Amino acid sequence: MTRVKICGLMEEQHVRAASPADAIGFVFAPSRRRVSVERAAQLSRLAPEAVERIGVFVNASFEEIATAVEMVPLTMVQLHGDEPDELIRRIDVPVIQAFSIRTQEDVRKLESSIADYVLVDAPGTEYRGGSGHVFDWSLLENTNLDNSRLILAGGLNADNIQAAISQTNPFMVDVSSGVETDGRKDEAKIQQFILQAKGDSMERTKEKTIDPVGFFGRYGGQFVPETLMKAVKELEIAYEEAKNDPEFQKEYHDYLREYVGREQPLTFAARMTEAWGGPKIYLKREDLNHTGAHKVNNAIGQALLAQRMGKRKIVAETGAGQHGVATATICALFDLDCVVFMGEEDIKRQQLNVFRMKLLGARVESVSKGSGTLKDAVNEALRYWVTNVEDTHYLIGSALGPHPFPTMVRDFQSVIGKETKRQILDKEGRLPDAIVACIGGGSNAIGMFYPFVNDEAVRLIGAEAAGEGVDTDRHAATLTKGSDGVLHGAMMKLLQDDAGQVQEAHSISAGLDYPGIGPEHAHLADIGRVTYEAITDDEALASVVEMSRLEGIIPALESAHAVAEAKKQAQAMGQGDILIICVSGRGDKDMATYAERLEGLS
Amino acid sequence: MKRLEELKEAGHKAFVAYIMAGDGGLEKLGEQIQYLQERGVTAIEVGIPFSDPVADGPTIEAAGNRALAEGVTLEKVLAAMKGFEFEVKVPLIIMTYLNPVLRFGAERFTEEAKKSGATGIIIPDLPFEHRQLIEPFAKQQGLVLVQLVTLTTIDSRLKEILKEAEGFVYAVTVTGITGTRDDLAEEVGAFTRKVRDLSPVPVYAGFGISKESHVDMLREDVDGFIVGSAIVQAFHEGRIADIEPLIDAVTVPHSV
Ligand SMILES: Cc1ncc(COP(=O)(O)O)c(C=O)c1O
Repeated sequence: MTRVKICGLMEEQHVRAASPADAIGFVFAPSRRRVSVERAAQLSRLAPEAVERIGVFVNASFEEIATAVEMVPLTMVQLHGDEPDELIRRIDVPVIQAFSIRTQEDVRKLESSIADYVLVDAPGTEYRGGSGHVFDWSLLENTNLDNSRLILAGGLNADNIQAAISQTNPFMVDVSSGVETDGRKDEAKIQQFILQAKGDSMERTKEKTIDPVGFFGRYGGQFVPETLMKAVKELEIAYEEAKNDPEFQKEYHDYLREYVGREQPLTFAARMTEAWGGPKIYLKREDLNHTGAHKVNNAIGQALLAQRMGKRKIVAETGAGQHGVATATICALFDLDCVVFMGEEDIKRQQLNVFRMKLLGARVESVSKGSGTLKDAVNEALRYWVTNVEDTHYLIGSALGPHPFPTMVRDFQSVIGKETKRQILDKEGRLPDAIVACIGGGSNAIGMFYPFVNDEAVRLIGAEAAGEGVDTDRHAATLTKGSDGVLHGAMMKLLQDDAGQVQEAHSISAGLDYPGIGPEHAHLADIGRVTYEAITDDEALASVVEMSRLEGIIPALESAHAVAEAKKQAQAMGQGDILIICVSGRGDKDMATYAERLEGLS
Repeated sequence: MKRLEELKEAGHKAFVAYIMAGDGGLEKLGEQIQYLQERGVTAIEVGIPFSDPVADGPTIEAAGNRALAEGVTLEKVLAAMKGFEFEVKVPLIIMTYLNPVLRFGAERFTEEAKKSGATGIIIPDLPFEHRQLIEPFAKQQGLVLVQLVTLTTIDSRLKEILKEAEGFVYAVTVTGITGTRDDLAEEVGAFTRKVRDLSPVPVYAGFGISKESHVDMLREDVDGFIVGSAIVQAFHEGRIADIEPLIDAVTVPHSV
């Protein structure tokens, strides 16, 4: 999430109002916001410990700066003059160097800065600390500057900050005049600014029924046509109630146990461990679920919720057909009406699953538009939902879509990670060193990762589909190659062209063949909590063979991406380490592809 | 778009035409706008093609795909509008999905839209809660961000949205996507009456409007009509003259 700095503080109440910010700034240079070192030290004591204290200087001597760093004390120094590199090198704390941006030339200058961070501002008129005007943010678009070094300033305020962040994706935003009224800081404006900058756009609605949630950093939201807003908000409320209702939770878990067959084992893979020669390998066996993949965990949860909301018609999209099968299965169980949209291409690749859905009584609608794959199936499912919204629930199959879907799907899939955590503690008495899961929209991965996100020592790795290679135009490596965009109701990472048209994804695995990624994953990638790697079609196929022969478990093509990535991870891990692979599904549905692609196998 | 309010004061009904920019080639855009303004439409929505138009039915989606196949982008449409050599006499409103705008840059988009002569923006997948992504920039340029309200918009929300409405309000007359329809639901009249009672700006009915019978049904309950799929298809098939009776049915004063 973008950090926030409130600059030019002079009064106690303003320092307190800024306490939810990540940094506060004191100006020691000539300016109407100038404070003495002693005053800054006093004010600094009022701010929470975690807040950075930043001193702003213009052509001060090293001694002046060093004194302030020690006395306040400052945790960072911000320089607005023509300070030489030698001075910057001598400063003990991280240094921010400020630049005024007017032209592309100015942008080049900041690229060569040796400071830890660069602050960009509009050309100053008032004094050297900046003018309070915005500059053309698009100038920053073609820089080589690492965004994690970028601090954006100049004319920011609560109204434009969201747009500023979405356009420049900076490490931190810096505001001073934008949170003032008549030249003096304004507590309400400070709070409002922080709220907006932290991506809490839900708070902007005055609709009091809605929680200020729905965003992961800057990703997520509810970008749907107005016709769907009512349904999305009803769902949000209904889910919130259900989540906190022990009866609902009990019913959900009863079905997981009695119908799906949970809990699933965490199998020690002795022969893979031996063959790879590194860490102990454990397999989380989602392949053993009724219907053959993790998708059913979510389908049951949402189908129960739909009934609670009085909806007896279900629409779903499916890629590999696993989610469609899971949905059709649950609709049969609960006697719900079921329509599944599936891309024409995927229907060809996954004929067995198409027939399973029909056998279960679902209507399968073929989608021939676009690339005829998962993205197009989601489009059609959304259109169907818009048209039938009053009596139909959209049972989305991955951690995608408008809020509350990404959160809800994650919660229903978290049973994977919760069980895994308990099981590994039972077996090994400690948490694993690394966990790998494959990523389509990201539901099995987020379900596996979520219970471990706060266990910083556990490395989390997502395996997305590189298709024929990330340097070709036939892949689905959204986090490796994508950029911010809005699709299917959420701000997320997308494969798109320069004009903002969403590109077709490609993967041999129908379940990974999607040009977006769930918003929570996009955020986890940004903050560096999860790393995402891309696995090619060929690597995945090789892992199908390897795992089948070493463990007698034929994985789904999607899951094989996780296996292939795990093998790479294992190379760099030691014998005492523990590595868990989420085997999201079994390979039965992929048998035709295996037979074709692995022909002549001996 | 003051003109729209004046029209309402004078008791005339507005006819807003939607076209897909670049369907049939971008060079057609100027011709189509000229034709429509000569033919007496009140305002024109210039549609920007998008790969995943989830609010649109098959007609507009297909038109968008044809435009995309011609290489049409938001940037090119704005450039084409800047190059018009005729006088644009009606308000032009850019209708686009959010993603092309975000990719182009929200502020840059509003600046360029202004320079290209647009007076308003409609973004069907930008709900009221997220309008801050665009609205501050639109305001800076004096562009109106037209809000949509629908049959499923609950009353408290309707009031919130209408309080801030500018230009006109887009009252969506079907629970569904764009595309021609035979009939509109009975409750549409009550809905548009309710919107009109609350709205400070003119209320135009759109989505599904394609026949004179629709106009007759809603004439007393709205300030104007928005016609999309029927016009897009007529242009595509080279029979735009077929639309003229529909334009007249709206714009020619009726004596009741
Ligand atoms: C077995 C299996 N694993 C993984 C996926 C990918 O989906 P997600 O990323 O939501 O887990 C699918 C999707 O169809 C699947 O069938």
